[in-house]
Amino acid sequence: MAENTEAKIGVFVCHCGTNIAGSLDVKAVAEYAKTLPNVAFAADYQYMCSTPGQNMIKEAIAEHKLTGIVVAACSPRLHEPTFRIATKEGGVNMFRFEMANIREQNSWVHMHGMHDEATAKAKDQVRMAVAKAKYLEDLVPKSVPVEKAAMVVGGGVGGIQASLDLASAGIKTYLVEKAESIGGRMSQLDKTFPTLDCSQCILAPKMVDAGRHPNIELLSLHEVENVEGYIGNFDVTLRKKARGVMTPVEAAAKGIVGGGCNGCGDCTAVCPVVKPNAFEFGMAPRKAIYINHPQVVPLIYTVDFNACVKCGLCVEACGTKKAIDLDMVDEFRTVKVGTVILATGYDYIPIEEKKEWGYKRHENVIHSLEFERLICASGPTGGHLVRPSDGATPKSVGFVLCAGSRDNTGGVAKAYCSRFCCMYSLKHAHQIMEKIEGCTAYIFYMDIRSFGKAYEEFYYRIQNEGCKFIRGRVANILEDPETKNLHVFAEDTLLGRPADFELDLVVLAAAIQPIEGANPLRKKFGVSASADGWMLEAHPKLNPCGTTTAGVFLAGVCQGPKDIPDTVAQAEGAASAASIPIHVGQVELEPYFAQCMDELCAGCGMCVNLCPYSALALTEKNGRTVMQVTEAKCKGCGTCGGFCPGGAIKMQHFTTPQIVAQIDAYLMGGQ
Amino acid sequence: MAAKSYDNPELNKKLADQRYHISQSNPQFTKDVIKTSRTIANMCYQCGTCTGSCPSAPRSTYRIRLFMRRNVLGLENEALTDPDLWLCTTCYSCTDRCPRDIAPTDVIMAMRNLAFKKDIVPRNFLQTVQLIYNSGHGVPNNDVNRAARKRLGLTADPPTTHMYPEYIKGIQKILDHFGLKENADRIIKGE
Amino acid sequence: MHEYAFFLGCIAPNRYPGCEASSIKTSEKVGIKLLPLEGASCCPAPGAFGSIDLTVWYAMAARNLVLAEQMKKDIALICNGCYKSIWEVNHILKHNDELRSQVNEVLKEIDMEYKGTIDVFHLAELYYDPKICGIQKIRDSVTTPMTGAKVACHYGCHLMKPQKDRHFGDTENPMWFEELVAAVGAEPVQYRNKMQCCGAGGGVRGYDIVHALDITNEKLINISEVGADAITELCPFCQLQFDRGQIEIKEKFGDVYNIPVLHFNELLGLAQGMSPQDLALDLHAVDCTPFLQKVL
Repeated sequence: MAENTEAKIGVFVCHCGTNIAGSLDVKAVAEYAKTLPNVAFAADYQYMCSTPGQNMIKEAIAEHKLTGIVVAACSPRLHEPTFRIATKEGGVNMFRFEMANIREQNSWVHMHGMHDEATAKAKDQVRMAVAKAKYLEDLVPKSVPVEKAAMVVGGGVGGIQASLDLASAGIKTYLVEKAESIGGRMSQLDKTFPTLDCSQCILAPKMVDAGRHPNIELLSLHEVENVEGYIGNFDVTLRKKARGVMTPVEAAAKGIVGGGCNGCGDCTAVCPVVKPNAFEFGMAPRKAIYINHPQVVPLIYTVDFNACVKCGLCVEACGTKKAIDLDMVDEFRTVKVGTVILATGYDYIPIEEKKEWGYKRHENVIHSLEFERLICASGPTGGHLVRPSDGATPKSVGFVLCAGSRDNTGGVAKAYCSRFCCMYSLKHAHQIMEKIEGCTAYIFYMDIRSFGKAYEEFYYRIQNEGCKFIRGRVANILEDPETKNLHVFAEDTLLGRPADFELDLVVLAAAIQPIEGANPLRKKFGVSASADGWMLEAHPKLNPCGTTTAGVFLAGVCQGPKDIPDTVAQAEGAASAASIPIHVGQVELEPYFAQCMDELCAGCGMCVNLCPYSALALTEKNGRTVMQVTEAKCKGCGTCGGFCPGGAIKMQHFTTPQIVAQIDAYLMGGQ
Repeated sequence: MAAKSYDNPELNKKLADQRYHISQSNPQFTKDVIKTSRTIANMCYQCGTCTGSCPSAPRSTYRIRLFMRRNVLGLENEALTDPDLWLCTTCYSCTDRCPRDIAPTDVIMAMRNLAFKKDIVPRNFLQTVQLIYNSGHGVPNNDVNRAARKRLGLTADPPTTHMYPEYIKGIQKILDHFGLKENADRIIKGE
Repeated sequence: MHEYAFFLGCIAPNRYPGCEASSIKTSEKVGIKLLPLEGASCCPAPGAFGSIDLTVWYAMAARNLVLAEQMKKDIALICNGCYKSIWEVNHILKHNDELRSQVNEVLKEIDMEYKGTIDVFHLAELYYDPKICGIQKIRDSVTTPMTGAKVACHYGCHLMKPQKDRHFGDTENPMWFEELVAAVGAEPVQYRNKMQCCGAGGGVRGYDIVHALDITNEKLINISEVGADAITELCPFCQLQFDRGQIEIKEKFGDVYNIPVLHFNELLGLAQGMSPQDLALDLHAVDCTPFLQKVL
């Protein structure tokens, strides 16, 4: 591949308003570009991404017969597609476009008093881009078909909504839920703010719909084991955890006529094992064969094999339905889907690690999800809020906001705002004042963040109902050893006085964090995490549902703290985004594939094992063993190309001559 | 707006402008506090965890949160002339609990250091300096104690600067390097 | 035998010599040898001295550290205030090159150089550390168990706080001191707000004695509430505040407690068979006799 001495490169330097022009001399950069070999045209412009800016490119291609385009502007993550299309519309192959990032990698990091150095660096960047542009080649994106099926991982309200949307759009959807039934956190809540709808009442219809939608295959007690493939063609291996109980369909498949679990509950009645109920945070007992609550979807019982003593009483009770199989083992299956939505939700931080508030040390300090269960009619106390220490009805309850949120001390604490604690604590205050005559709610807060629709009005309402708002973060909580009352120490910062509140019950609005399995799961899909630990969206504003892995989308709290309205909205957005490639039916892959130059390949096969994407194989061609790339699987990472002892692997768009030209251009300063 | 000036000094005092004016802030004060305290004293968001943790607050007008606020706003004079500045027992409860990971205790220590530079310092602090300058000990030995030590089989004076006074010279050199004794003497004398 | 340079501080040797004597004797019985750190001075007092000029505090503490560096011994000490000065300045100078060179510039005038070659420990943490001593060894060293005595533990502030960078863990409800007290046969009792300050620190005892005593009084109320026979602590300055403070509180507020105050080493000394005379308990302001009658 010889240097294209005939290359005619056009260079366009963007001001980006003052984003770039404020920190370096764009005109000098453009003038400098004109002096570079093969540059046929160079100019600067206020906003290259604007329509006039793009037209400049097209006009210059026509006028100067350009063969390559360099734009020195922002990050290619933002406007590479824009300029590629302009290049294409100008009549040049869009892969003959190269971008020099003189904003994120230059002006923004050299903003103060480094004008000359920044200009010099921009010249270096343009010179390198021009050097590469000379070697750019025509490439054609590869088109691959998209499997007309989607997967949603996580069966909370976000995952349910996304699944319903996808399924209703005619797409076969696998709804994968690791727990026994769907519903997630929302199924544990009593009421929802600010409307005070019963959580189960509004969620249950959606759960039922998800359970019976012909396009949804509900896979509860399933986990993602392995992921292969790429957008349009993900092969996802699922682990079906041993439930110990068969559905009617599973029973029928085993030839048990009219068998399988019908949810009658006869098994639970006879089970002799009693363990703490995890769904109720240990505040109620649970048998070793159980369902979490009356509205579960799917209505199939589950055996807790950690608790089960295999006495067989349940098997007897089940009788001819023969639904229970105490020897059941995990099974695996692989499904092919075109796109994936992750909706894995959240957990509380281990709030007991914030020792000053005494959770797990003081009996009457509980967290907000425990409060939800205690105030819920289907909860362990039938909706009667009681103190764990003595079962008494509390007459004064404190709510500790920002319990581990907005906290920069590290450890279990989180620097971010958990975003829904203010609102649910207002709701909790309302609930106790409504349910318990004469009970006073004290909300200890730093700021009340009631930013959603009808939220501020809700705050007004709760204050009007008599809730006392104490503007001060709780310093520590001590327990009276005899009464088990709590002394909450804080400063009322508005009074400017330290305070000692003796309260019957304290509820910690604990910070939230990604669920335990979130990290391994996202890694299987190649999804990154942001610094705060949540899954990273493709762009925080303009692509909030997408990820950097094409075909993988995010919904709900797994991407960052969100309340129910925001979660559902994002779920619908993610479903829409995930359905696009499926409806289009095919996707274009960037042609950054490895290519084997057969004449140089010795067929050693070392690259085959190195490839992290299983994209390479050995094959016979013209009587020789050579390597062959499955282009759709190749991500263009370059591992094989960098290793190949014979230099037989070419990385398209990142060829050795292109890279070397860039390095030379930098080191030799344009000489 | 021109400053108020009534003929009646009592009225001037009673009706003095209570508003905070930007001109009262000294940004350099905030920087000095950060440097001396070696903590991110500018990051306070006024949650009150410090005051809520403070053993001095419930029995006085001392509010550590208020000092944190004065630091953020650069209210140097207000901070350094407030006698409450000296009521911190340095128990570090606020530091352990501060959600911003600030050490408010060290902010107080820094402010005390800056106050000392303006000769604002309670007498007892200076006496400690004088005692150490003369004996090496902030709490020196005495005859009753010497007798007791001997009874216990210890040396009458402990094997510190008391038993080895030749080391006191080095201590004095260190203190003189900073002019500390001189300053302490001068401030006490000037009272 | 683990050997340490014994940093005395001021109040132990000059007001409660029993603390010094018992430390030397009790530690020897559990395999720790305390060697005199000749020429050491006040740490200097972190509250009173640090309030005036932290840069001098760094330099003065560094001088004490250099004495131990010259002995090539880690420091053991028995006072929380000393721990704050000596441990913390050692920690700061080890991690802050700028301050370290500033300090060394001053030390050069007296032909000294801080090198950062030693570590600093409170004797109590050495007692607790199974690699050095450990609870079992303490238990085994006891000949006169303090049976039947309810003892309130006062951890003090500057040993464990600020928690960050130190290695003691939880500062809200620690229990390791109680384990040590249980090892000498006494019954450690829990009381309200046990991590509260004694009130003396930060120069407050000198600046506003009734303010300091009011804090002490709150602790004494909480301690007397649970019927403690004695208070034990890890800091002679806290000891002074609780012990002489009870006399002062009686004078100023009229409240009377008569709860003896013993440094843990004094308590351990009694448990290892040292007599009250060996510990100069007569120098204590609060009469220890009722407690001694209960345990001896």
